[in-house]
Amino acid sequence: MTVAEAAQKIRGSIITAVKAATREVRGGYASDLLSDVMGNSSEGDLWVTMQKHVNIVAVAQLKGLAGIVLVNGRRPDEASLVRAEEEHIPIISTDLPAFDVVGILYGQGVRGRRSA
Amino acid sequence: MFMFDTHVHTCLSPCAELDMHPSALVAAAVRARLDAIAVCDHNSAENVAAVERAGRAAGLAVIPGMEITSAEEVHILGLLPDLESALELQSRIYRALPGRNQEDVFGLQVVANEHAQVLGFNEHLLAGATTLDVDRIVAAIHEAHGLAVASHVDRESFGIIGQLGMIPAGLALDGLEVSHRTPLPAARAAFAPRGEFPLLCASDAHEPRDVGMAATFLLLEEPTLAELRRALASQEGRAILGGGKPMEDLALHILDIAQNSLEAGATEIAIDLLEDPAADRLVIEVRDNGPGMDSKALAQASDPFYTTRTTRKVGLGIPLLSEAARAAGGRLEIESKPGEGSRFKATFRYRHIDRAPVGDIETTLMVLLAGHPDLNIRFRHSLGREVFELDSRDLRAAGIDPTLPEGLALLRETIRRGEAGLPRPAVPPKVL
Repeated sequence: MTVAEAAQKIRGSIITAVKAATREVRGGYASDLLSDVMGNSSEGDLWVTMQKHVNIVAVAQLKGLAGIVLVNGRRPDEASLVRAEEEHIPIISTDLPAFDVVGILYGQGVRGRRSA
Repeated sequence: MFMFDTHVHTCLSPCAELDMHPSALVAAAVRARLDAIAVCDHNSAENVAAVERAGRAAGLAVIPGMEITSAEEVHILGLLPDLESALELQSRIYRALPGRNQEDVFGLQVVANEHAQVLGFNEHLLAGATTLDVDRIVAAIHEAHGLAVASHVDRESFGIIGQLGMIPAGLALDGLEVSHRTPLPAARAAFAPRGEFPLLCASDAHEPRDVGMAATFLLLEEPTLAELRRALASQEGRAILGGGKPMEDLALHILDIAQNSLEAGATEIAIDLLEDPAADRLVIEVRDNGPGMDSKALAQASDPFYTTRTTRKVGLGIPLLSEAARAAGGRLEIESKPGEGSRFKATFRYRHIDRAPVGDIETTLMVLLAGHPDLNIRFRHSLGREVFELDSRDLRAAGIDPTLPEGLALLRETIRRGEAGLPRPAVPPKVL
């Protein structure tokens, strides 16, 4: 599944780096602690979070994540929007809460990947 | 030298103990020999006025403050110049703080006066997060002419690095607070390896017995926010000398004994710290040329309830060191005669599980040498086969004057290099 397809399934809209949304989603990760995401997410993961601070783009870029899903209708900060465009990180905004987003993605075959 | 604890709560914080009312907090701070505290309740400054009044009566400097929770759930301390600016910032924070407190869930939020009387209960959800992001909070603190310090950066929950992965580029923090969990040398390496931010050690006390558990030592003219600001920016000769856990770190016990000797009139002090992991031995020896003590004074010095001074700045003195040595399978010996100076020797089993950490020697030496630039202080630290030696006479001969900013920086550099040259054991000493 691509980032764009995932966005559709979770009723979200891609608000940055639309061109990069053709990227393949290879797994998923959900967390609001950015230090935890830096430590435990894997390359190609779609990351589900409440956090919208500009540091989310830095973390996604650092870890090579497929994209970021902001839940509960949250919109990125202006700084996040600019940085995400620059770094080609797709951000999806959805009105669904994190639990539902993760449930839908899991139902579509997206899995968490524990890096050993 | 002044000892600050820049982060203490009162009974207004829902997570704090009820007995942390303003006068109890001040009494605990005085007991811990602090010169100043910053009152930083969660998202509120409503007990600051009462703590200020209690502090004035007890001769303790009180800095108004608040620990603000950002939208990202990062805790940031705002340390403010006066009550008025604190209350101004408070009204701004209240407007951005949704929800009402539920006392049965989060705890009581007691507004109290300095006579331990309850004036009322704060109804805001002080345990909650504001809708302001970290940038806006730092800006709001600065607009109120305050200092913005990221709380407990070494803690995952509510620490800025835990929540946001890294300190956001361009965030105008005035300093970082390190909790009691991380020794200062480790914190320097982790959070400010190139001196990016000044580091403050603070207790984050929620109950009286924790006040001053961690503290910062500052070279200032007086214990005020204006002076703290200069120290954080290393301006006009003001400086952060170091910090740590005064009641626990062995380095700060050494400082305490040496300070006592100097206050008693000694002009020469020799300090030996011997760490010998192979022989399972740690020895602290302090010798002075002070007036010495007769047997009666010696007995009193070992009594935890006796002191000749009301202004001892550091640690809890000889009884606590004696207890620390005994707890680690060692003992404290004191030899002293009137007119012949004193000798303190504390031995510890190096690998004993209850042996307190050495702590930050840099702090000890900075406080002693910068605080007493004219006296003769010799320090010798051996670890395994390596030795670091420092003598204030050699420093003077080399033209290093710690009363000048450049001299202070050179002194720090010398100590840091010397201590870094000692081989730190790979195995944490607390492992049995």
